[in-house]
Amino acid sequence: MRPLSPIPSVLASAAVAVLALSACSGGTVRGAGDSTASNGGAGSTFVYAANLDVVTDWDPATSYSNEIIAMENVYESLTKYDSATQKVEPRLATSWSSADDGKTWTFTLRSGVKFHSGRTMDATAAKEAIERTISLKGGPAYIWDSVATIDTPKPTSLVFHLKYAAPLDLISSSAYAAYIYDTKAAGSEDLTKWFGTGKDAGTGPYRIAQWAKGQETEVKLRASSDYWGGWKGKHYTDLEFRVTPQLTTAWQLLQRGDVNFVERLNPQLFAQAEKNKQGLQTSSTPSFQNLLALFNTAQGPMSDLRLRKAVQRVIDSKGLLSALKGADTAATGLVPEGLLGHATDLGLTHDVAAAKTLLQQAGYGPGKPLTLEMTYAQGDDDQQLFATLLTSALDEVGVKLHAQPLQWNAQWERGKSADPAKRQDIFVMYWYPDYADPYSWLINIFHSANPPSFNLTYLSDKSVDARIDALPQLTANDRPQAEKAYVDVQRELIEKQAVVAPLYVQRYQRAYSANVGGYTDNPAYPNVVFAHDLTPGG
Amino acid sequence: MSLATVAVRPSRLGRVSRLVRADLLAAVGAVLLVLIVLASLAAPWLAPFPQDGTTATHATQSLLPPGGGHLMGTDQVGRDVLSRLLYGGRTSLFIAAVVLLLAAAVGVALGVIAGYAGGVVRDVIMRVTDVFLAFPALLLSLALAVVLQPSVRTAILAIAATWWPWYTRLTASIASSIRSRGYVDAARCLGVSPARVMLRHVLPNSLTPVLVQLSLDAGGVILTAAALSYLGLGAQEPTSEWGLMVEQGQALFTTDWWVVTFPGLAILVTAFAFNVLGEGLRAALDPRRNAR
Repeated sequence: MRPLSPIPSVLASAAVAVLALSACSGGTVRGAGDSTASNGGAGSTFVYAANLDVVTDWDPATSYSNEIIAMENVYESLTKYDSATQKVEPRLATSWSSADDGKTWTFTLRSGVKFHSGRTMDATAAKEAIERTISLKGGPAYIWDSVATIDTPKPTSLVFHLKYAAPLDLISSSAYAAYIYDTKAAGSEDLTKWFGTGKDAGTGPYRIAQWAKGQETEVKLRASSDYWGGWKGKHYTDLEFRVTPQLTTAWQLLQRGDVNFVERLNPQLFAQAEKNKQGLQTSSTPSFQNLLALFNTAQGPMSDLRLRKAVQRVIDSKGLLSALKGADTAATGLVPEGLLGHATDLGLTHDVAAAKTLLQQAGYGPGKPLTLEMTYAQGDDDQQLFATLLTSALDEVGVKLHAQPLQWNAQWERGKSADPAKRQDIFVMYWYPDYADPYSWLINIFHSANPPSFNLTYLSDKSVDARIDALPQLTANDRPQAEKAYVDVQRELIEKQAVVAPLYVQRYQRAYSANVGGYTDNPAYPNVVFAHDLTPGG
Repeated sequence: MSLATVAVRPSRLGRVSRLVRADLLAAVGAVLLVLIVLASLAAPWLAPFPQDGTTATHATQSLLPPGGGHLMGTDQVGRDVLSRLLYGGRTSLFIAAVVLLLAAAVGVALGVIAGYAGGVVRDVIMRVTDVFLAFPALLLSLALAVVLQPSVRTAILAIAATWWPWYTRLTASIASSIRSRGYVDAARCLGVSPARVMLRHVLPNSLTPVLVQLSLDAGGVILTAAALSYLGLGAQEPTSEWGLMVEQGQALFTTDWWVVTFPGLAILVTAFAFNVLGEGLRAALDPRRNAR
């Protein structure tokens, strides 16, 4: 138990008693009276309360951020991964087969599918989309690295010839960079610019109806009448994304029926939602999404290995999980449980004495104080909690932490800044795989990249690069060896080079209206609600 | 001093008693403020867990409800809310004091110069003042705070930058009327320098309304500082500050009410106390009222 101060004062008690006599603070709900969510019937609208800005990039080739929650309802990939069955399911492709020891893959495409532009989706169109995605090299275009050529022997047949064996059915289910879209939708206009204005060229059940960047209701989608899946039965015809950073606001909107779905509540509100079984439903699902603290290895004080190790030892993972009250689980290694290469013995060791020794060795102490800059996503209470705990823990070892919450776009832009001096010392962000495979953590975050995109440790190590580059082929040829290689690389990054601190793995805790039927969480598509699969009215 | 005069003067206790009876609300405000200021100043000795008011956290003791161990419960990272409330008072009162000092120093100086000098000097100063007054204070503070790094210092600068024009306008009008008074003319005729006239004759006679205004503004400054911290543009962790405490606890309002309620009350009560005291001072120092 912590020591009490020696003088519990009468004066303090008196002041507290006086203060306690007054009224309580409270808040207001934005958009009061602007009720848009509906409970079914023709023209029903599903309103999704997102706690971060929705769109950073509308181009299906390069999109690689929060817009996934809208994009997955507008665009489709060849296949889809079902996290519950852990199997790849048909989507735009109805069947597929591999030959030549996994180096040739043939996908049979669904007939009668039209893009929102009106053009027929066939093998040629699919090939053009994938080739454009590869050529732009944006987002996670690396997922197609194994592809040598693509043939289109028939309008419904797409054949991939690979440089090395790879699980292309799984790759094709990727949440990013696997969208099939009409590359000719813009006509003579520049397609990238055309997408940038909020237009779409997908095959999905919904089309972009409105995009109002910076507005509370940022995105509106409307049913695409030509959708191959059809609109028989009850479906939501409209889908809205309402940016609601304040959890209490989201909670109140949900209770009032102004939104149908809240992406994430804090543990306390989630517990309340679980109790409120009459008007609400909840789901809690283990995810592939973990929170990482990335250390700047290229510039500033954190380029010193001893300092990075000191910060790792200062982090009290057990304390963090305790304060998070069941919303998250312990992170061991970079790869969450359920994926190849998950390590069970790569947790952080909380050792304040060792941290102090490392700091002294690095030359920091009373005569040479140290200040670190950390950025994290504004509106994420779990990250804020971590920031508070780390600030306190670092203060204990004499290090001042300036933890700055930023809107995700601003945080990312600062992390990618062309001027290294403007970058932060510690970048906190979530990561989830592009497809149900661990490779995306390593290739995106720890492979050298100039200019940086998600490599926000700014690590540039040829030996690590080579080990990462070898992983896909090794996974295809020798899974046990690949498992070992993944664990070894993680050990190198976490223990030896100390470039990252894995903090926790999130549980997806959703709260949604009782009248929403058919919702299941699919962690392979983080935070996505496949609205066409839902039944309004329960 | 004659004996007769001494005999008719009421005792100190009697004067206080008369003042309290004259404006009970202001007296309540004054008592509240004394308690809040004393409690805040003595936070290191009064706080049950002084280390919680600064940097300590105790993750395993998060969100304990008010009770024996923690009179006002604990927050998300296990810090004693009462301790942080007491330390938060130091921050909020410090911000109010520095902001008002800065704003009054700049505003009064410019106001005295504008009022005494008149002409082009007055026009230039007053037009600049008008430009600042054209923006809502909170919006201008927000804009400044966004440009600068969020911190207590930023909050102070941002608020002070929007507060000084009121003092300039107030002082300029008073100084303008004083400059034509006989004793000022006399000083000028005797060859006293303008700076000395302003400092010795104009400034002292302008201060009473400024003091009233300062007491009225203190609550507003505390509210603005709390708003900036609430929006993440003022005090930052691990600093204890009431607005920041409200911001951090507001997501817990319906489940763990104590985290947000106590700092909210502290802001409310302090702002209320400053306001009623200011109103009381205004009434007490109003020469028209005293003449009746």
